[in-house]
Amino acid sequence: MVTLLLRSLRPHRSLPLRLRLVVDVPLRAGSHGPRLLYPGHIPTTSLQKMLLAAGSAGMALYNPYRHDMVAVLGETTGYCTLKFLRDQMKKDPEGAQILQERPRISLSTLDLRKLQSLPEGSLGREYLRFLDMNRVSPDTRAPTRFVDDEELAYVIQRYREVHDMLHTLLGMPTNMLGEIVVKWFEAVQTGLPMCILGALFGPIRLRAQNLQVLFSELIPWAIQNGRKAPCVLNLYYERRWEQSLTALREELGISPPPKHIQGLA
Amino acid sequence: MAAPRSCGLWRYCCRGWSCSTGDCRLPRLHRSWARATPSARLLSQEKRAAETHFGFETVSEEEKGGKVYQVFESVAKKYDVMNDMMSLGIHRAWKDLLIKKMHPLPGTQLLDVAGGTGDIAFRFLTYVQAQHQRKRRRQLRAQQNLSWEEIAKKYQNEEDPLGGSLVMVCDINREMLKVGKQKALDQGHTAGLAWVLGDAEELPFDDDQFDVYTIAFGIRNVTHIDRALQEAHRVLKPGGRFLCLEFSQVNDPLISRLYDLYSFQVIPVIGEVIAGDWKSYQYLVESIRKFPNQEEFKEMIEDAGFQKVTYESLTTGIVAIHSGFKL
Repeated sequence: MVTLLLRSLRPHRSLPLRLRLVVDVPLRAGSHGPRLLYPGHIPTTSLQKMLLAAGSAGMALYNPYRHDMVAVLGETTGYCTLKFLRDQMKKDPEGAQILQERPRISLSTLDLRKLQSLPEGSLGREYLRFLDMNRVSPDTRAPTRFVDDEELAYVIQRYREVHDMLHTLLGMPTNMLGEIVVKWFEAVQTGLPMCILGALFGPIRLRAQNLQVLFSELIPWAIQNGRKAPCVLNLYYERRWEQSLTALREELGISPPPKHIQGLA
Repeated sequence: MAAPRSCGLWRYCCRGWSCSTGDCRLPRLHRSWARATPSARLLSQEKRAAETHFGFETVSEEEKGGKVYQVFESVAKKYDVMNDMMSLGIHRAWKDLLIKKMHPLPGTQLLDVAGGTGDIAFRFLTYVQAQHQRKRRRQLRAQQNLSWEEIAKKYQNEEDPLGGSLVMVCDINREMLKVGKQKALDQGHTAGLAWVLGDAEELPFDDDQFDVYTIAFGIRNVTHIDRALQEAHRVLKPGGRFLCLEFSQVNDPLISRLYDLYSFQVIPVIGEVIAGDWKSYQYLVESIRKFPNQEEFKEMIEDAGFQKVTYESLTTGIVAIHSGFKL
């Protein structure tokens, strides 16, 4: 019907070009205008989500430095799991507060001087030490784009920002081995398909000696702690900076990490 | 036609303005082609607060230039890789066909507008070099009874392997030109190339300078296509040829649907996975839909003063090569 309309308009050369163009029908989900659920949202069809999931999985495996691909994989595959996580958060009082207040962890919201002044062994101080030692910053997390629900977009953003906290809690560095261990922990905790895929396929890129340590000690330790600990998304970390790290680990039931992880690449 | 003549009148008034050297980035050899650029716009009596399209979005005309610049700035490094992935390598055949249609002979002065990464320019140089070599070989064969010394001397006296041909690559985007210059070095194209930063709507060249003007996959990004066509008409020599390779309308309804599906569903995904940039490739496929079809574009070219305008659709109309002459 649209083509008939266009064909009827074409002989009228006197029509201004702009009017002719207005008749064109957008053939895909609008990426601007009232259909946007949150800033940065890109509406996608199921076909696009499937292609994105496949493409980002392949690219993330081919080039592990493409963190944005891991993020995209998480967004496109995690819809159902995110709903489950959101419901879990609502049931827990601290989690419900997080959903209500929507705190964000970024350099602009963190008071670095205050964290520096905290005593050694406190969560805030150890988190800062982790950022410095591994030369990472909380601002490198890409914003959510492909989740088609505003609250779930926040949940996955929170999960990403809490990821660094998990590194601190588990005492894992940000090298490939450390990341895989954290992924195993997250896979057991959250059940996000991206974590599961990362946990299963990440070891492909490791060297043989690391693989041995991974399978013999680190993975069983991660799984055990993941099962014991309550949902880590329910912790209001911003209110717990002064809490001692060992006390927090005890509260969550996380046993200390195997000591020789630091020496491995 | 009334329109080009009146434009010519106010442009004639502006030619007295001196060239502000800050804007004209030309190599020393070609300063004779320099002319005033931004000051000319001040004399324009028409105040454009009008709106135009940026893909399927509506933006003001001032905004569009800036937004298009940002798109190409961000895609410049992955431009060639993405072209290969999106068109499955077919874009190379299209560009080869354009040069074949042009059939440039040694001594041709080509202006390649929006030629950023140099695809057309490099093909032109290779073609012209091959033509020149063929011509020299024919000349040598025709000359009978030459001694060995004379033949050797002929081969040694090769001053210009291009036979006087020159290509100016003009682009509004610095990043694209940077990528193009690097590619030229990598592929070994040293002679016969010049890189100019310029706007297709206001070219920094004098009238009647070039034998051929090409614009490949660039004209749909220009805010005022009619102005770009008028500029093309101005800088060409009488007898010069205008060639445009651009996405156009698919004739077949079934292929059109498949093409739309591929464009809107797959291409932004490829852009995200390979270049990490969804929005630029979304703009790209939308801008293709906004561009006039073969017949309408032919009329626009005729309106700018070109004659013997023809077009050839390639790959069932996904792209078309439009050709016109300044007579």
